[in-house]
Amino acid sequence: MVMEEMNQESTAVTPGEILGKASSLRPGRGAYAVAGGDVYASLTGRRSILPPPPDSPDQRPIVEVTGHKAHGVVPEPGSTVIARVKKVMAKMASADIMCVGEKSVREKFTGIIRQQDVRATEIDKVDMHSSFRAGDIVRASVLSLGDARAYYLSTAKNELGVVSAESAAGATMIPISWTEMQCPMSGQIEQRKVAKV
Amino acid sequence: MATKRGGSASSTTYSPWSNQKTRRQKRLDLKDPDWVRADGRLFHQCRPAFFRTGAVSAAAGSAYAELGDTKVIVSVFGPRESKKAMLYSDVGRLNCNVSYTTFATSVREQGSDHKEYSSTLHKALEGAIILESFPKTTVDVFALVLESSGSDLPLVVSCASLALADAGIMMYDLVTAVSLSCHGPNLILDPLVEEESHQDGSLMVTYMPSRVEVTQLTITGEWSVSRIHEAMNLCISACSRLGDVMRSCLKEAAAAAADDT
Repeated sequence: MVMEEMNQESTAVTPGEILGKASSLRPGRGAYAVAGGDVYASLTGRRSILPPPPDSPDQRPIVEVTGHKAHGVVPEPGSTVIARVKKVMAKMASADIMCVGEKSVREKFTGIIRQQDVRATEIDKVDMHSSFRAGDIVRASVLSLGDARAYYLSTAKNELGVVSAESAAGATMIPISWTEMQCPMSGQIEQRKVAKV
Repeated sequence: MATKRGGSASSTTYSPWSNQKTRRQKRLDLKDPDWVRADGRLFHQCRPAFFRTGAVSAAAGSAYAELGDTKVIVSVFGPRESKKAMLYSDVGRLNCNVSYTTFATSVREQGSDHKEYSSTLHKALEGAIILESFPKTTVDVFALVLESSGSDLPLVVSCASLALADAGIMMYDLVTAVSLSCHGPNLILDPLVEEESHQDGSLMVTYMPSRVEVTQLTITGEWSVSRIHEAMNLCISACSRLGDVMRSCLKEAAAAAADDT
């Protein structure tokens, strides 16, 4: 049994290669195990072995395979995404997800922000048009996979909401409070659900 | 491909068909146990294979493969959003498309989708991909046969699994495929187009070498059980060798990419 702490191998592993025995290693991202058998890789990349978290009952080290290429990301529940608002309606706003976490997606995914997910307090009194406008860039978190057409997004946290918006005059607005942004050119104040950066 | 054209270039007319007399001779020789294959290979010898990933920069993953004269290029797009008309699914979807270019065969034909090959490719790959890793999204695999010289579909399957690995789609194992052609008492691996057109039966195996699992088996013609066993063993050992070539290609590409960063 060979135990290597936080070690990255120099040669890559390919899908289907055996990484070790399931009795001594736990499969992490990029690996899978066959019950009672071996741990196999499921991606092409470098193998790394991480120590197990100290409070978990299962004390086997975790083996992961990290791809060498910036592989396409898919929105997952719980991840933070950057989206551009496409359309604002009475009860929801639809947005195109452009980045998931740190990576940008190759082709956009559709997400919707429902009225009850815009903020954490007074959720039934939310006015969608005072929270978002078409063209705003928002930071949101993925609530769930949603339905066939769109992912469900939420901006119900302080650090989530509009990150960048253009005013009616065409300039990038400056945030002045939780709910307001001001245009530097015209001085006009517009209402948005602003993210705490 | 041997073509017999007569005499001097100026006086004879060009014909894409080889000389009629040699075609008739070939048919007589095939059932002869002393028959030698057109390119001099042994019965159980495959053509040398060449693989390269990263051929198409616009795609999430891609691969180019050659098996003798047969040339195939596969691009993989995804995981990307499914079409709006599709119902919700909590596992990923795979969409395969195999098409031939107009110049792939010796006679120019209308380039169109090959629906039967597309469905066979789908069946061969779906057992190997971990669909649960990309719920609600679709992975599109587009295969294009640039030159067809026998054993097209097995090369398409192998090349597609390399392209999927290049795209970073999670898979249980690489999928390799080899086909075999039956001529009377002889079983020949990796047949050419001429050998395929005169065959009595064929067998194609798509196999995951490290998991030791067959994802798909296609048999045409009349086979006895013992012949099927013999044929499958031949194919599986050829698939394992092909799998080693494909793995070394992926590792080379990974090492080259690591050197660049």
